[in-house]
Amino acid sequence: MPETPLRSRTEIALHVNGQIRRLSIDPRTTLLDALRDHLGLTGAKKGCDHGQCGACTLMVDGRRILSCLTLGVLVDGASIVTIEGLSSRDGGLHPVQQAFIDCDAFQCGYCTPGQILSAIACIQEGHAGSDAAIREYMSGNLCRCAAYPNIVAAVRSARDRSEGDHAPISV
Amino acid sequence: MSDQAPEMINMGLPAPRVDGRLKVTGEARYPADVPIANLAHSVLVTSTIACGRIAKIHDHEAWAVPGVIEVLSYTSINGQLGKPRFGVSSTSIGPLHEPRIWHDGQIVALVVADAPEAAEEAARLIAVDYVGTVAPSAGFDSDGAETVDASEVAGREDPAVGDFDHAYAKAPITIDSSYSTPTQHHNPLELFSTTAVWEDGRLTVYEPSQNVHGWRNALAAELKMDPARVRIVSRFIGGAFGSKGPMTPRTAIVALAARRIGRPVRCVVRRDQGYTTATFRAETRHRIRLGADADGRITAYGHDGWEVTSRPDDYLVAGTDTTAKLYGFGSVATKVHLVRSDRNTPGYMRSPPETPYMFALESAMDEMAEALGMDPIEFRRINDTMKEPINGAAYTSRSLMRCYEEAAEAFGWSDRDPEVGSMRDGDWIVGYGCATAMYPSNIGAATARVCLHPNGHATVQTASHEIGTGIRTVSAQLAAECLGIPVDAVDVETGDSTLPPAPVSGGSNSTASVCSAILKACNSVRARLFRAVVAADGGPFSGFEPSTLEIKEGKILGPGPVVMDLGDALARTNEGVLEEYAEFVPEGMNADSIRKLYAGQTPMHGGMSGPRIKCAFGAEFVEVRVHRRTREVRVPRMVGAFAGGRIMNPRTARSQLMGGMIWGLGCALHEATEIDRHTARYLNRDLQDYLVPVNADVDQVEVILVPEHDSDVNPVGVKGLGELGNVGTPAAIANAIYHATGRRVRDLPIRVESLLS
Repeated sequence: MPETPLRSRTEIALHVNGQIRRLSIDPRTTLLDALRDHLGLTGAKKGCDHGQCGACTLMVDGRRILSCLTLGVLVDGASIVTIEGLSSRDGGLHPVQQAFIDCDAFQCGYCTPGQILSAIACIQEGHAGSDAAIREYMSGNLCRCAAYPNIVAAVRSARDRSEGDHAPISV
Repeated sequence: MSDQAPEMINMGLPAPRVDGRLKVTGEARYPADVPIANLAHSVLVTSTIACGRIAKIHDHEAWAVPGVIEVLSYTSINGQLGKPRFGVSSTSIGPLHEPRIWHDGQIVALVVADAPEAAEEAARLIAVDYVGTVAPSAGFDSDGAETVDASEVAGREDPAVGDFDHAYAKAPITIDSSYSTPTQHHNPLELFSTTAVWEDGRLTVYEPSQNVHGWRNALAAELKMDPARVRIVSRFIGGAFGSKGPMTPRTAIVALAARRIGRPVRCVVRRDQGYTTATFRAETRHRIRLGADADGRITAYGHDGWEVTSRPDDYLVAGTDTTAKLYGFGSVATKVHLVRSDRNTPGYMRSPPETPYMFALESAMDEMAEALGMDPIEFRRINDTMKEPINGAAYTSRSLMRCYEEAAEAFGWSDRDPEVGSMRDGDWIVGYGCATAMYPSNIGAATARVCLHPNGHATVQTASHEIGTGIRTVSAQLAAECLGIPVDAVDVETGDSTLPPAPVSGGSNSTASVCSAILKACNSVRARLFRAVVAADGGPFSGFEPSTLEIKEGKILGPGPVVMDLGDALARTNEGVLEEYAEFVPEGMNADSIRKLYAGQTPMHGGMSGPRIKCAFGAEFVEVRVHRRTREVRVPRMVGAFAGGRIMNPRTARSQLMGGMIWGLGCALHEATEIDRHTARYLNRDLQDYLVPVNADVDQVEVILVPEHDSDVNPVGVKGLGELGNVGTPAAIANAIYHATGRRVRDLPIRVESLLS
């Protein structure tokens, strides 16, 4: 592939799902586009490109962020977890992924990667104490299929299971 | 749960979605996710006026941006594109075919570059000079809008029966009310996108689509090429709701750009541009007149509707075709008008006719029940009918009152004090409301291929579309059941125009149509297997009559005690893969339907027409709470009971109906695309300002699946559920708000300001 003739490029290194990935990107490239267009990690989705829908939610240094509002160059050196990094090496699903399947917490599936990363963060943050809290802290992630009650059920069930198993939810 | 036991009647198993794992791991590749080598990126430039002509496009600065490869505009198309055909295409407007601007946000250019950032930068540098700009007509009440009789322009007949004028004049109790619904946009979470790849004169387009076969043919026509050389791939679709049903002009433009630069091109449409380069639900107005006897029998139903459309295309929903057949109206008079204005062409959006027309009728029903001093459920019971009133055709099945009974019971309707404003909880005024949902059980011609492999796995192929409905899952379940194999032994391939054609995934027809074709193909596979088994020398069923055999759970059973393992049977047939292709033509449809399906049309049999009416019903109940001081409206509870014939999968069915009910909530309280009356431009074209329900807006939603057998509706006995759920909720909420506040809001959405004095 020919070198893209852009005005300037910046070298960055991202720790993505435990691997160091070095990139040369346009300084205007968002983290979302860097992952999708440069690293082939298309699990994070673009639903608005304006930080309004949550479909691009990722974990950066342990916090959920909107990757469409984050420039790639600003997270140089950061540790990033995407939906592709949640399953174990043997293919076993993360408890929140499994809970989403069990509760039918999606239909078209487009918002699901963002919902799952938000759900993990919601539990980690201690914002999953009640259904009302889950609803509030999951409201940055739109689901146009409106699987909301099932998303709340999935978060609740993952929370309960982790408490029962004394296995805290993490990425 | 014990309360689920009766639901197992005429229901499949609640199998998890077969593509669930792909969707929770990010492995599901939506069209804009498909990796393409040497990909160029493109960005649309759209008009900033709604009416006028382009005098000049200044693209010099855009060309100067490093990485820019191509700029397409009306000056550079040079007749290389045929015009879109309204129908399969969203509009007849060819945006780059002429300098004319028909509507706000019309495509005026496409900028292609090596990288998305360069394309975006260059697109923003394009300047357009316009001439001949005049004040556009934004829609209703705008100068220059042209109102026409929809029956005349669309060649349809307005449903009518009896002498409405006489019956209405004579009725002791009448109401005469006007209602309106706003412009709405589907806003699926997935952005619209097109990725065009040419190889040896063959074109592959990756794009979210609800109609891959239709698009293949439409795109070939626009590109003036053989449809056999066009392929549309749309394996996962990130929500559709009708927005990805018609092909938009962008598809051919991006394909043309890719052909011209000799390199694959992707265009991901910005959210704001999606509001004007695709379709929307047009705003409507209604006048309803109802007359009733003192005992609650409706003697007269008059419904006049007005719908906004674009200048060149008469898009029409005409919901009176369904509402006129809903109750045992004594007399009916209806009329629908189109209002042509300087707007992009509207299109179908989840329950296109029913959402606006049923909001109006079911609000009017509540008003009439109030005027009669009658319980709204009782009022509907009195007017329930097994025969529609226009032609006297019988419903194949109709469980509306059973739905009311079950939903009322679960909801606790008997706790309702009918007096307005009488139910309070602290600062909140509580209101209960209900409304009817109905949706025609449409069905189309469909084809499918089923292969049973020697290892006991099966493949089902059909060019239907997984838009989140669960069509892959129910297809796998049906094949598994017919072939006696586990669900996870069935692979279902959809969303590719190289597969056997299926209808557009619209009008809630897919499960009925596609499953009928799959059932037919599976039955042929079974018949071939049985013939082989009885013909096999020395086999356990040698010489048996094939019709006495059946398959269950991996075993072939005969009339006696002998069983045969399916694997052994497949090994003995010596047939290799048992492959059968089936064509399904619904009863009453022409055999020519299959040819039309291959040609990209969608021959469909509508549930509301023909000698027997085929329709799904539901009853939807809501509790609203209106704050005494702020007038904020909350919806803590919704209960819907629905009867849809055979339920293939109660899990996916529930989810779809639940999502539909929440759509109804959004329609009632949130959604409206605002239009500047002077410029005819949309104002709130993003997900911040176009309000849709969020998680915190939704509390308890209960879906009750009412058992219903209907062997007459179609071979699989199913009625589509995808659009039923959102039909009744808007009126139920408006009715509940009336019960709480005494204020009858007839214009959607109902916002705080609708309830302030």
